Amino acid sequence: MANHGGWAGKVLRIDLSTRRISTEDTIEKYKDYLGGTGIGYKVMWDEVPTGTKPFDPANKIVFGVGPLAGTGAPCNGRTAVTTLWPTCWPKPLVASGHMGGHFAAELKYAGFDAIIIEGKADRPVWLRVVDGKAEIKDARHLWGQGIRRTTVDINQQMGPESSVAAIGQSGENLVPMSVVINSYSHSAGGIGGVMGSKNLKAIGVRGTGSVRIAENKEEWEKVVKLHLSLLGSVNQHVVPNSPQPWAEYYSPTRWLGSKGRKWGSAEPNIETGACDPHNLNRIAYRTNNAAFFLGEKAWQYTVRGNGCSSCPIRCHTILKVPSVSSKYGIRAVGQNTCAGLVFGREFFKTFPDGPRGQTAIEACMVGMSLTDDLGIWENYGQMQRDFQQLYYSGAMKNKVGEDEFKGFSWDQYEKGDPTFLFELLPRIANKQGELATALGLGTGYLLERWGISEQDWQQNQKIAYWKMGHPRHHANEDAGQCGVIINTQYNRDSQCHSHVNFTRNGLPIKVQKQLAAEIWGSPDAVDAVAAYSPMNIYKAKMAKWSLLRKELHDSLSLCNWMGPWIASPLKERNYRGENSIESLLYSLATGDKKSRDELDEVAERIFLLHRALTIRDMGTKEMRTEHDTIPDWVFIDPTGKASFTAGTNRMDREDIKLAMDMYYEEMGWDKKSGSPTVAAYQRLRLGEVADGLTNRGLVP
Amino acid sequence: MEQREEIRLTIAKIIREKSETGQLMQFEELLTELAGQGLLNPEGADQRSHLEGILRQVVSENEDIKELSSKNQIPHYYSSRSLSEIYAGILVRKEENSLIAEIVRENSAIYPRPVPLNIFREPPFDLTQEEILDYLEKMGKQGEYQDIAQTTTSIGTVFLYSNRHLDATYASILAEWLDVGQANNP
Repeated sequence: MANHGGWAGKVLRIDLSTRRISTEDTIEKYKDYLGGTGIGYKVMWDEVPTGTKPFDPANKIVFGVGPLAGTGAPCNGRTAVTTLWPTCWPKPLVASGHMGGHFAAELKYAGFDAIIIEGKADRPVWLRVVDGKAEIKDARHLWGQGIRRTTVDINQQMGPESSVAAIGQSGENLVPMSVVINSYSHSAGGIGGVMGSKNLKAIGVRGTGSVRIAENKEEWEKVVKLHLSLLGSVNQHVVPNSPQPWAEYYSPTRWLGSKGRKWGSAEPNIETGACDPHNLNRIAYRTNNAAFFLGEKAWQYTVRGNGCSSCPIRCHTILKVPSVSSKYGIRAVGQNTCAGLVFGREFFKTFPDGPRGQTAIEACMVGMSLTDDLGIWENYGQMQRDFQQLYYSGAMKNKVGEDEFKGFSWDQYEKGDPTFLFELLPRIANKQGELATALGLGTGYLLERWGISEQDWQQNQKIAYWKMGHPRHHANEDAGQCGVIINTQYNRDSQCHSHVNFTRNGLPIKVQKQLAAEIWGSPDAVDAVAAYSPMNIYKAKMAKWSLLRKELHDSLSLCNWMGPWIASPLKERNYRGENSIESLLYSLATGDKKSRDELDEVAERIFLLHRALTIRDMGTKEMRTEHDTIPDWVFIDPTGKASFTAGTNRMDREDIKLAMDMYYEEMGWDKKSGSPTVAAYQRLRLGEVADGLTNRGLVP
Repeated sequence: MEQREEIRLTIAKIIREKSETGQLMQFEELLTELAGQGLLNPEGADQRSHLEGILRQVVSENEDIKELSSKNQIPHYYSSRSLSEIYAGILVRKEENSLIAEIVRENSAIYPRPVPLNIFREPPFDLTQEEILDYLEKMGKQGEYQDIAQTTTSIGTVFLYSNRHLDATYASILAEWLDVGQANNP
């Protein structure tokens, strides 16, 4: 370890059953897997037997961060939490949730690259980690409390600088649709129930150490500055939303900062200004995710942006809406981003003052207030889409007992009254009644419980359900065949943003194609939105690149919601970003010099280990037909438009077969089964994994 | 320093400072400004042509100083250090009836995408709702703008597009995606 920078050097292992606390050397055991999901998959492969259930004591949770966490590299605040996924249907398989906030940096400063949680405590506990030492503490007084109170209680004990990741009542009650949250709004979905099953209420971390940069510090500062200069707005949208004096282009992106736009609830008000990208001290003013998702009205309620350690983007928006205190008895201030921000609103079909009116904003405030305290997960909006479909189709009424159904204020619901959320959400967290219990299971298990065919969901484009209990996450609607391939690969929604952060970056299609030619070999790798061309090999290369960069980010602690950074707002660079920024940062921080291709190969190893785990635990090598499946709605256009015409996202079945063929070939996998070959495992130094799968008859 | 050189440096400075505020510099404004600084005599009969000559030199000597003329041939100047060509192009066309149509055509052609009507209420367009509706009404009556069409999303937002570059279905799908779809797929 002595010569390496970046890594803290130790992995903390906590056996809650025996209360044994131990450490391992990160470099010796996990360097080939970097950190984050890499450590997570390695632990799951080595230590969690096939057939283990998510809530079994034999399941493990790995809170993994990477060598760039806690450094000055931009956007390094991600903690990957890997475990057996309780909403993966019909059989739980490995997956990961990702939280931002300050947990990752604080864990590094405390001297650890990961925490492996195993076993089950005999009573509620929380874990205190401070500067190289860990203690298992009694949490009986916290059990039954919400996330906010738990966080405050532990922060009062450990100091305000500590980061607390906690579960709410939902996780305690083993609701599969539960989150763990740190820093009040940074959540990792799906983890809460697994923590609850181990009687683990929270982890508090505090470190006063630092992360060593191994190589030349001036060179490091130069690369960090370069990285900062390439940043766009949230999701690496590099073009502003409206014409700006400095900008050549404008697009309906999430770069909302503009002259005249103000954070209206800041005291005094703060104008974002035109946000010239050359001014690195104004990056935080570019983003206002509340205004993007809730509409123009949100500006008046904006206090400021918020976000993760070392990230200037600030994708969370702090809102202050005074009316909600008197109307609903909740705090006037709330904060979150994306799906967490609109959690409450998405249950409703209509609002009295429209989808971007005051009531919709209030529904968001009520939603955040309840779910970020109870610790409920929305599964990228699938819970709300399921809810609407089940209610308006009449299925819900048929499946829930009459007395229970009558117990809800459906008139209020249909009118878009946010008070309805007070009836529904606490019941989900507390498993009260059939409806709430079913919703808390996640889509796959809900459908099974209520005798509804998964195929019904897979034919309905509006529900946006993909497979295995989870929704699409930037599929054909964002990147045609590339998006489809990516959405077949994981055991939950794909959470991959490598492709969509390019296709939605706001640059004209001609510029995107110029950049695509440099990165993936041809301008034909990308198409204009809803004007897709037939499959070609460059789209397969883009899909592979996207997946590997996602795993790379998840293992380094870089944020795949913000990156990659292959485009930039800089005209003088012809809008080029830097395709090697990850390897530049990694090499300088750790001292382990790796080229872009070499680091991508490590990412491929990590991704392949995820594939191997999935194959092992599914017990089949027929991945193409049994795992990498595509819902019918992908091949349907509501107006009957043919594939490959402008104005449709409809994919063609034969073309997608070709897409999967090309993708498997790019990965070096067997085309017929979609499984990696022995040679593919060996190429990435996973020979032992290949041996293990060969013994089970699980390689082609 | 010769006076002519001093005037050239002053002109470049004035244009750059104006550009930093997000605005173009018109010939007449420049004339007044220089006269105010005592660098030109506004009463002199040959001052206009004198300034035209100096400006030509300023533009040729300074890579960032650009000249743009509006449809009625009034020259405007800006520095590309602070203002992009596109932004300056919008400013110089602000008073022209064709502005909305040209913006819509450009967007339909290059991104490609329809443009939400409300963008014209924001800087640098700064049109009122009444002015926008007035433009639309005029465009509807004039043959040269018959390619400009409207589509409305499921939440009621009006988008404009040019059917020279986008057909009606494609424009409608794109508008829905931009207005509703993207926010529903965070």
